[in-house]
Amino acid sequence: MIATLEQRADPQVPAHVLRPPRAAPVDWRMMEEQVTPAYDAAAEARTQFEEQALPFMDQLYAAAMRMTRNPADAADLVQETFVKAFASWSTFKQGTNLKAWLYRILTNTYINIYRKKQREPYQSAIDDLEDWQLGGAESTTSSSTRSAEAEAIDRMPASAVKDALQAVPEDFRLAVYLADVEGFAYQEIADIMKTPIGTVMSRLHRGRRMLRDLLADYAKERGIDTAATRSRK
Amino acid sequence: MSDCGCEKTRRDLEEYLRNEVCRTEQADIREHLDNCPGCRDEALVSRTLTEVLARSCREAAPEQLRDIVLGRLRAAHLTADTASVIR
Repeated sequence: MIATLEQRADPQVPAHVLRPPRAAPVDWRMMEEQVTPAYDAAAEARTQFEEQALPFMDQLYAAAMRMTRNPADAADLVQETFVKAFASWSTFKQGTNLKAWLYRILTNTYINIYRKKQREPYQSAIDDLEDWQLGGAESTTSSSTRSAEAEAIDRMPASAVKDALQAVPEDFRLAVYLADVEGFAYQEIADIMKTPIGTVMSRLHRGRRMLRDLLADYAKERGIDTAATRSRK
Repeated sequence: MSDCGCEKTRRDLEEYLRNEVCRTEQADIREHLDNCPGCRDEALVSRTLTEVLARSCREAAPEQLRDIVLGRLRAAHLTADTASVIR
């Protein structure tokens, strides 16, 4: 972007500076050489951005839906993300992980725009709790009920899974989403969420634990018996 | 469910399934899973949860969104042009 602007400024230079007197044929070539590459570079950068970044639109939209919880805000968030990403496209290093780069911008944009509106102050309080304080069904269930749990989860309708995910506090939800849906490595999630890896792991474990309990509740309401529900009786 | 290795396996199971453990530990956990049906079931629940989440969260962006984004990128590009000319 910066290089483009500098080159583009050249046509503004008074003509006599560029043009030696009485050498008209050479002039035009010089002018062309200086003007065309500048326009090409800007157009090329945009084409390159469109080709490389836009294919992530569905994925970014899906993530934005889980963040904002509604289609209009999700669409706005995706727009802002692409506009911001394009504005800093020159800082993206080709050959590095574009998807992670875009998710970083998406997450930042989300936090800046939306999180200010709806703070969830109890989240850091959950971060501080010890595992035993949160409980969980790990050690109390037998093997046979676990395979029943896996089966129940597998049969869960998408809407129920999304509702359950939505009920998980934001930071935990985001960690689960980035790991399970997007398949990001712990280090990438740490970079995206700007937290240490240990926090990512703890949020992931707790988020998934909450999710399992929520899904078990859902199954229980519909009369499907699973490990997690049985253990709580 | 034997006592040896279950605790460690349960603790690191998610990391194992996501390929986030070192090679030695990976071998230990794999061996334990081969011999422990209880931990194997736990691994099944864990993997199923990941699969079901990925499947359930798939979403297609609305058709118009692509056009809106393209329009905004072009506008941003033009604004940059104008800025450079004004300079």
